[in-house]
Amino acid sequence: MRIIVCAKHVADSTEVRYDEEKREIELRGLPTKISDYERNALEAAVVLKEAADDVEIDVLMVGGEPQLKTLKEAVAMGADTGYLVEGGWEDPFDPVRTARVLARAVEELEPADLIMCGLVSEDGYNGLTPAALAELLELPLVAPAVQLSPADDSLEAVLDLGDVLRTVRAPLPCVVAVDSSMNVPRLPTVLQVMKVKSDRIVKLGLSDLGLSAAALQESVAGVGLSETASGAVQRKGTVIEGTPEECAAALLAGLRDEGVL
Amino acid sequence: MAMRIVVSAAGADDLRRAAEAARGVTGDVRVEAVALSGGGAVLAPRAADVADVAAAVGGLADAVLEYEAGDGPLGGDVWAAALVAAAGQGADGSADAVFLVDSPEAREAAGRAAVTLDAAAASMCDVVGLDADGRLTAERAVYGGVANGKLVIDKRPAVCLLTAAKVEAAGGAPAPVEQRGPVEATTPAVEVVGDEPVEKTVDLAGARIVVSVGRGLAAADDVAVVESLRAALGAELGCSRPIAEDFKWLPKERLVGLTGTSVTADLYVAVGISGQVQHLTGIKGARIVAAINNDPRAPIVRNADYVVQGDLYKVVPALVAALGGDV
Repeated sequence: MRIIVCAKHVADSTEVRYDEEKREIELRGLPTKISDYERNALEAAVVLKEAADDVEIDVLMVGGEPQLKTLKEAVAMGADTGYLVEGGWEDPFDPVRTARVLARAVEELEPADLIMCGLVSEDGYNGLTPAALAELLELPLVAPAVQLSPADDSLEAVLDLGDVLRTVRAPLPCVVAVDSSMNVPRLPTVLQVMKVKSDRIVKLGLSDLGLSAAALQESVAGVGLSETASGAVQRKGTVIEGTPEECAAALLAGLRDEGVL
Repeated sequence: MAMRIVVSAAGADDLRRAAEAARGVTGDVRVEAVALSGGGAVLAPRAADVADVAAAVGGLADAVLEYEAGDGPLGGDVWAAALVAAAGQGADGSADAVFLVDSPEAREAAGRAAVTLDAAAASMCDVVGLDADGRLTAERAVYGGVANGKLVIDKRPAVCLLTAAKVEAAGGAPAPVEQRGPVEATTPAVEVVGDEPVEKTVDLAGARIVVSVGRGLAAADDVAVVESLRAALGAELGCSRPIAEDFKWLPKERLVGLTGTSVTADLYVAVGISGQVQHLTGIKGARIVAAINNDPRAPIVRNADYVVQGDLYKVVPALVAALGGDV
């Protein structure tokens, strides 16, 4: 079985801040990593690989030089080869464009049985890329998956649809979006990341995929972020200190004054 | 020329939310609601008659377009086919936008329809409007809620996935139903093997007081400590992501935040929750936020109205005692 995991390089979302003065989201100089939700997808793939003899995992990432470190981390989690599509930049607010680049790369690589994604990405939270990818590849979509049991030519999966846990069976190949509750991803050690030799990383140019940046811009440009404002809600920030009993009394007095008790 | 917006959703409330959002874009708009029949169920609202769809949207929609989905399971793939058909077939040409309300099936329908319609796609839209140049704009939380952003969508049609929101019952006579014939998915079908209903015991979104617990808790058994405060306040119990997804000490239906439920409570009590932005996004709708935390640098401290700096294992029992409850 061959699995392609689509993984995204993002700024660590716990470090992202809004700069009130510049009125912009401060992303420069932040630590970067594999998007949390794609880490769940990769973990799910590695678990399948550990359970069977003949599973091969490729990680597919879009970007450039800064993404190489992240791609190596992804490969170190237990994949065989990492593919980096250079120049196919990702825009957090244009999931369809991202899906078009990923779809061309998936078609260019050797045929896969499973194409796995996170349910959303840690920056855009759009949740549309897996479906757009499935449509572009003319494949079924299995989402949001919380359990996977592959057979010879099909995949049985349990989907968490909120009010119902639905067991489905999809023919292979198919696109799977993994729910983050499926697993707790392993963290590769520094040594494991260092051990990922450069021959396990393959760079693909947009032209290798029959794409051009200009054509991509032309064909799907359409969504852009124009202005931002802080997302924080102004709160009072009253700090209460003292013994537990004093704190309890002061807090309850404050909440009664607010009329919420 | 009037704008034409196609709306659809998997339940009556969400359908009204989509239709109302479409009405709000501009005064001169034709709103058409898509319903799917067949497969033993009607999508939008699910498992209801198409007449119920027409009544649910009432005067908010100008028409209900009914598509027959055949006998197979109704999934996002078939739904996408109906949206594509509806967006493409209008008296005034193709639609300007397709509005859906977020759900797993709606994401599949939106992603697939956006590709087939060669449309722009935007998610997490709170409000959709028009700018001075007549371009569609969408207000949404970005980077997990660090900022609120305005997207400019310089392409038609636009497929917009809306956040859920409470809307009033629609007034007016039921929208007229137009039969539009069969649609089918263009990709191989996903077979439904079986459904296991998830028992819903929690109404986090509607609760007046929510007590939530986070990573500050040392062990699964200690949920009881916070449960005693929940009981004393007559509150609903919530939690942060590590508790529901990493440790699985509480079911996912209790998860508050971006990937869980957004609360609208009068009072939200965050116990041992550091306050990552994804969690803060889920509590923006709370009127008063109280936090109990021993880390003065935790983000929740800057995002709460009342902050008790202390050990939750001491402060929570003291609160329960002061409320006259059982510690």
